[in-house]
Amino acid sequence: MRRLDPRALVASVLLLLGFVALWWVVSHAGWLSRAFMPTPESAFAALVQGMISGPLAGYTVATIGRMVVGWLLASLLGIALGTLIGNSPAARTWLQSTLELLRPLPASALVPVAIAVFGLSSSMVLFVVAFGAMWPVLLATIHGLASVPRRLEEVARALQLGRLAFVWKIGLPNAMPDILAGMRLSMTVSLIVSIVGEMIASQQGLGQTILLAARTFQSSELFAGIVLLGAIGFASNSLLAIAEARLLRWQRA
Amino acid sequence: MTRALRPVAVPLLLLAGLEAFARTVGRNSDAVAPPSAALLALARAFGDGSLWQATGFTLGAAALGLGLGSAIGASLGLLLGLSRRAAATSFLSIEVLRPIPSVALIPLAMLVFGFGAAMEVSVVAFATVWPMLILMQAAVRQVEPCLLEVSAALQLSPWDRAVKIIVPAVLPRLFVALRLGVAVALVVSVTVEIAANPNGMGYALMIAQQSLDPALMLAWLFWIGAVGYAINEAALFAQRAMARRMGEVAE
Amino acid sequence: MSTVATLTAERAAGTPAREDALVFDRTSIRFGACEVLSPTSLSVARGEFVCIIGPSGCGKTTLLRAAAGFIVPSGGALTRRGLAVTGPSRDVAFVFQDYGRALLPWRTVRGNVSLALEAAHVPEAERPARIERVLGTVGLLSHADKFPAQLSGGMQQRVQIARCLAQEPELLMMDEPFGALDAMTRQDLQDELARLVRERGLTVLFVTHDLEEAIYLGDRVIALRANPGPQRASLAKVIDVEIPRPRNQLSTREHPQFLHLRRELYGFLGHGHD
Repeated sequence: MRRLDPRALVASVLLLLGFVALWWVVSHAGWLSRAFMPTPESAFAALVQGMISGPLAGYTVATIGRMVVGWLLASLLGIALGTLIGNSPAARTWLQSTLELLRPLPASALVPVAIAVFGLSSSMVLFVVAFGAMWPVLLATIHGLASVPRRLEEVARALQLGRLAFVWKIGLPNAMPDILAGMRLSMTVSLIVSIVGEMIASQQGLGQTILLAARTFQSSELFAGIVLLGAIGFASNSLLAIAEARLLRWQRA
Repeated sequence: MTRALRPVAVPLLLLAGLEAFARTVGRNSDAVAPPSAALLALARAFGDGSLWQATGFTLGAAALGLGLGSAIGASLGLLLGLSRRAAATSFLSIEVLRPIPSVALIPLAMLVFGFGAAMEVSVVAFATVWPMLILMQAAVRQVEPCLLEVSAALQLSPWDRAVKIIVPAVLPRLFVALRLGVAVALVVSVTVEIAANPNGMGYALMIAQQSLDPALMLAWLFWIGAVGYAINEAALFAQRAMARRMGEVAE
Repeated sequence: MSTVATLTAERAAGTPAREDALVFDRTSIRFGACEVLSPTSLSVARGEFVCIIGPSGCGKTTLLRAAAGFIVPSGGALTRRGLAVTGPSRDVAFVFQDYGRALLPWRTVRGNVSLALEAAHVPEAERPARIERVLGTVGLLSHADKFPAQLSGGMQQRVQIARCLAQEPELLMMDEPFGALDAMTRQDLQDELARLVRERGLTVLFVTHDLEEAIYLGDRVIALRANPGPQRASLAKVIDVEIPRPRNQLSTREHPQFLHLRRELYGFLGHGHD
């Protein structure tokens, strides 16, 4: 985190407010159709009302829940599988290229396949989220385990460290920076796939909400939903960044 | 001989397994199809032009979106990298906009542009602006301080300094960012098509599933993966070629 | 440990040790077509501090690694206390030159030392006391909860030494351990090492390219020579360092025997054959 100079902070806030002011002017002057550019007040009102007396809070929780559960599953699977594969040079030889081939595949491309298998349900979305978000963690774990410095391997040999102990005490901790970075990426994927899943499978959540809002030309509700999704993205990323910094504090001299 | 086959052994095994499964247990399934049938469906799509049309749309939209997003992102990144004050001032605005998942803007784009290329291009552009901006800003910041001192000693104008010293210095990093942008653009394009846009490869995939044609669905899934892989490799190749031309040691 | 007690008692009584700590019997090491070490015979007695010097690429590190069990000799025999060396063992501690890379960066000083105890399956209840003791020996108690990245080079090397001591080894193998440190730190660590070794009666095999360091620290100095051609390295000279202990950075280095040995061995460093 950069040191915040108070003057810079003020300037930053002013610029942001400036954009909001611009938004206010543009929307009130009607230069862009009200159908897709609500006034800031109405968007804000829709947000507040939706959260307090409306269903937005419930939808937000649903989306967050999906995102977090999917991410946890993805991380656990990714680390477990990654450890099995990364630990065995034989497994890596056989599987590495297959994994590389699958990497560019968009996770959302699995949604239709999952629908065919599971139907339109909540578990379908969860499956796609978990499976799609698994890849960054899986690949990061394999890479981290494969790149244990030679010197540490020799230290382990000299100390006569058992195989399991080696993986647990040296292999995985060494891979930790990679794994944590993978988990952060995984969270981003998880949010995206959750939203897409909700949109397509009509599952209750913010994804479905904003799609419906767009279809019914309710731009204020649409903006409210977008703000909430942005907030979820921001909060989840920040929390993970803080956790990462804490866990990796040994890196800084 | 067997050593060279090792990398493809597992996929082939899985495909064979799927073939056997789909022809026996999953015979009447709407979800699985034997890879052989998928191959046929793929060939048919090749033949009747639907494959090329859809692929062309997706790649075109992705390219336009990437171009737009990169242009905006790179210019902003350059500016923010050069001016500390601009960077500090824009910090909050960027941090507010950046976390918005690009997919969340799909309904808005739909509302503004309707269905079609414009909607997809705009979402892809939004998604690709941020990585480009951040990487460019970092690249400009990390330009060898020596070079900046040289430009001061030569008394270059700010424009000359930017064009003759900074831009060439960050060009390799720009290409790395572009390569990453290509990957993002493709994924976002396909996602937009799966979620809403009735055009392109993602849409073809959805249609195949909805018309309960698992062979075609599998074919499109494979094709999307193949295109993604090929484009990423091409981008990597281009990036490395550019790096070599600019005199950088192999990355 | 009883071995230490017996050894100290033996040395005090002036009786020779029963078994040699390490015996090279016409040991040779070959990597592919290249004979990195020509057949070498050498015995290291228990409690002895042996220094190995030689020009770069003359195989001194290879000799050390073979003794530690990292490399299997291609010819001849290599035994430790009468038993053939087949691989690394907990009795043998190895101190690497690149201390930064030999420590676990994500563990504190305490955690790094603990690794040796964990590997040896020392009961958890016993570990804190042993860690404290060994950290006290190397003078790092006040830095026990710091991470390696927060320590200087000399301190990091001391952590590595502490970890090795926690193994309670009989043999200490050191591969140019002070080579990457500045002169002052090096001298401090030399004296600390000499003290530690004396207190515990350790047998030490110490590789260095620093001639004066070798004479200062060793009971015996073994000079290896690099040869042109296929037989890369061979034993050139073995000398006994008959300078009394405890030694001192100032007076020992001016001792006539020290100066004499220095002159004698000078030719073997970087000047190849006689």
